[in-house]
Amino acid sequence: MLTRAVRPALNAGVAASVRPVTAHAANYATLREIEQRLKSIKNIEKITKTMKIVASTKLTRAQKAMTESRTYGQTSNTVFEKAETKPLEDENKKTLIVVASSDKGLCGGIHSGLTRATRRMLEEKPNSDIVVLGEKSKAQLSRSNSKNIVLSFAGVGKDVPTFADAQAIADQISLLPTDYGDIQIMYNRFVNQTSYVPTPLEAFSEEAIANSPQFAQFEIDDEVLSNLREYALANSLYWALAEGHACEQSARRNAMDNASKNAGDMINKFQILYNRTRQAVITGELVEIITGASASEE
Amino acid sequence: MAFAWRASGLTYNRYLAVAARVVRRSLKEGPRLQAERRGEMELRFAKWENGKQGENKSLAQENASSMAEHASEGQK
Repeated sequence: MLTRAVRPALNAGVAASVRPVTAHAANYATLREIEQRLKSIKNIEKITKTMKIVASTKLTRAQKAMTESRTYGQTSNTVFEKAETKPLEDENKKTLIVVASSDKGLCGGIHSGLTRATRRMLEEKPNSDIVVLGEKSKAQLSRSNSKNIVLSFAGVGKDVPTFADAQAIADQISLLPTDYGDIQIMYNRFVNQTSYVPTPLEAFSEEAIANSPQFAQFEIDDEVLSNLREYALANSLYWALAEGHACEQSARRNAMDNASKNAGDMINKFQILYNRTRQAVITGELVEIITGASASEE
Repeated sequence: MAFAWRASGLTYNRYLAVAARVVRRSLKEGPRLQAERRGEMELRFAKWENGKQGENKSLAQENASSMAEHASEGQK
């Protein structure tokens, strides 16, 4: 390659020209620096492109899981809709907020969006407790509301969430000592490929279910009621996790797409700068040689 | 209507998970491997007290032990 062949000569030239004029070098990057920068940007572009492809393949699976889990969760909630269940309006009972985020970053602002929505909710009900799923929101919430956190789960979002995940989480939540008036599950609702809305999903307490106006239409024994509650909580959690996962993958795909585009722009810019600088250096050298030659002729 | 599994401290979800595992294990080799992947759970969790994070523990083990505790409480 031309650059390779030219480099030794250039290095000598650059080294010679840089040392005496340091002020000149400060605002004018050397050829070598530009080349190194260009190389690292190209590497970054490669990485972001690969991550985008990975996220795209994962996205199709995540979206499938999401549509399945959505019907699942909605069917499970039909009971409460038909029973017209409302959350308890009891001031003495605490609210539990479950934040369904994940462990991994590099996916734009979906985690911080979720955290912000949770904080807003906490302002309304400062007495609530929080359960955090996933490291990202845990880090953010532990800075501002660490007193409210009662449980945190790690290992969320490595793969498409399974129902076993949701069940285990629901179990641990129902084993919590405090009796909660209602449970709000915060998750990112998937609107379309580019927009996600942090939404609360209601999971009712036993009392709230028992007090619902149309409750008499169902034949539910009191003993089975707690089963229904636990199961409904697991269903809702599964829905929230799967939908959140799909949002995350889609957000990551977009973020990586943007990163690759920006890297491409930067590469173009730096390539032009590199070529210009190279030419300037060559011209400078030629001038030096010619002046040197004409001076020694005389 | 009393359930044997509830008396032994299991929650409904745990009961379902065990039942699902049994069904998965009784499948034929090919579909079984695929199905068992759906039953995997590798979460870890930590309890928080007064704004401090506790120890990170495996969720599966902790669930099992806390349910065993509930079982002994029930028998008393």
